Amino acid sequence: MAGKIRQMIDSVINQRAKDNPMLERVIKTKLILKGINPNKYTLQSDDDPVVLGKLEKMIAELK
Amino acid sequence: MNIKTAFSVQETAERSVNDIARQFEMFDTEMVLFFSSTKYAPESISSLMQNAFPMAQVFGCTTAGEIASGKMLENSIVAMAFNGQAIKDAKIEVIENLHDENAVRAALESFGSYFNEPVADMDPATYVGIILVDGLSGAEEGLMETIGDLTNVTFIGGSAGDDLKFASTKVYAQGKSYSNAAVLAMLKPGVEFSFIKTQSFRDLGKSLEVTKAIEAQREVVEFNGKPAAVAYAEAVGTSVEEAAKHFMHNPVGLFIEDEPYVRSPQQIKGDSMLFYCSVMEGMELSLLEGTDMIGDTRQALELAKSELGSISGLVAFNCILRTLELRQNNLEQAYGELFANIPTVGFSSYGEEYIGHINQTATMLVFK
Repeated sequence: MAGKIRQMIDSVINQRAKDNPMLERVIKTKLILKGINPNKYTLQSDDDPVVLGKLEKMIAELK
Repeated sequence: MNIKTAFSVQETAERSVNDIARQFEMFDTEMVLFFSSTKYAPESISSLMQNAFPMAQVFGCTTAGEIASGKMLENSIVAMAFNGQAIKDAKIEVIENLHDENAVRAALESFGSYFNEPVADMDPATYVGIILVDGLSGAEEGLMETIGDLTNVTFIGGSAGDDLKFASTKVYAQGKSYSNAAVLAMLKPGVEFSFIKTQSFRDLGKSLEVTKAIEAQREVVEFNGKPAAVAYAEAVGTSVEEAAKHFMHNPVGLFIEDEPYVRSPQQIKGDSMLFYCSVMEGMELSLLEGTDMIGDTRQALELAKSELGSISGLVAFNCILRTLELRQNNLEQAYGELFANIPTVGFSSYGEEYIGHINQTATMLVFK
């Protein structure tokens, strides 16, 4: 499987930033500090379970 | 005037607190933030401060040096008083077990209940958080990560110091003193506010990718597939034996949108390197070189002032490594003078918080 990380990154950014560019920058910074660089992932990137786990936790905290 | 500052260098905690209270007389104090040398017994200073301002919310922490308007101090207590116009409302929570994510969630839920608004929906332009953490806990990254997952409100702050004894640091809230704990304050300011994050380094263009790390221990085992100490020494252009001498001037940084988030090496352990904050596998770090701290900080303050129009209060969290470098270069007075015309309190910290946990940086909360 591939591309799930990119989809989840986009989902986190969309849910959290709500089209606010300043918040979008902050959320990208938070992701990079967690070790997830959004610029490194495309829809072709492999689904690394460690990265997916971090993103799932982030999404879960929003609910 | 909605924000007042004071400092005292009296010999005893009682005298210093009385001195501070006298300086805030006739001011309608609703909240007090204070930073105190460990010269003043941590067991008593928090209750003395709370008793001096019984109607106010009082919180603070121990330091490795203090900052007041125009001065860098040692063995003192500095305090900032806010009236109801500066801070319309505030809620303070203490997290007593820093490794318990549920305790962090509970604290943030408490903010949500108090302000009648889920923390996930709180507007970061309306609210701001201050975080003071036990500086020897090693728990800042996890704490900041969980807070950052739960809210868009910016939490800014520092890791408490203990005058370079590295034995015990304390955070204070509502008359009590805590270790292995963090104080979180969710503020609803009545005035505009902004942030400064400033560090004085340039990118040397030498990449050090973390290829093996023990993240929980802030240990990098390998950079670029080589033993970390060897790769770092090669990048600096020195031997492994001499590498530690370069740590202060040549830390490493994680660049995000051209802005370094500094990771300071602490020591070499075998072939590994230990840092003052966590570094993760896969992170591409850059070797940094120190620049002009006075000039950079002046520029950052001027920018904040031009953006806000004026500054009525500034809380500074200044890395102890910056303070030591200033001391080494006899620049402490010049640094203090940068804040001469700004009502300022701050302290030399064992780590700085802003979005995440960082080193060799000054983070500042600035009120219009």
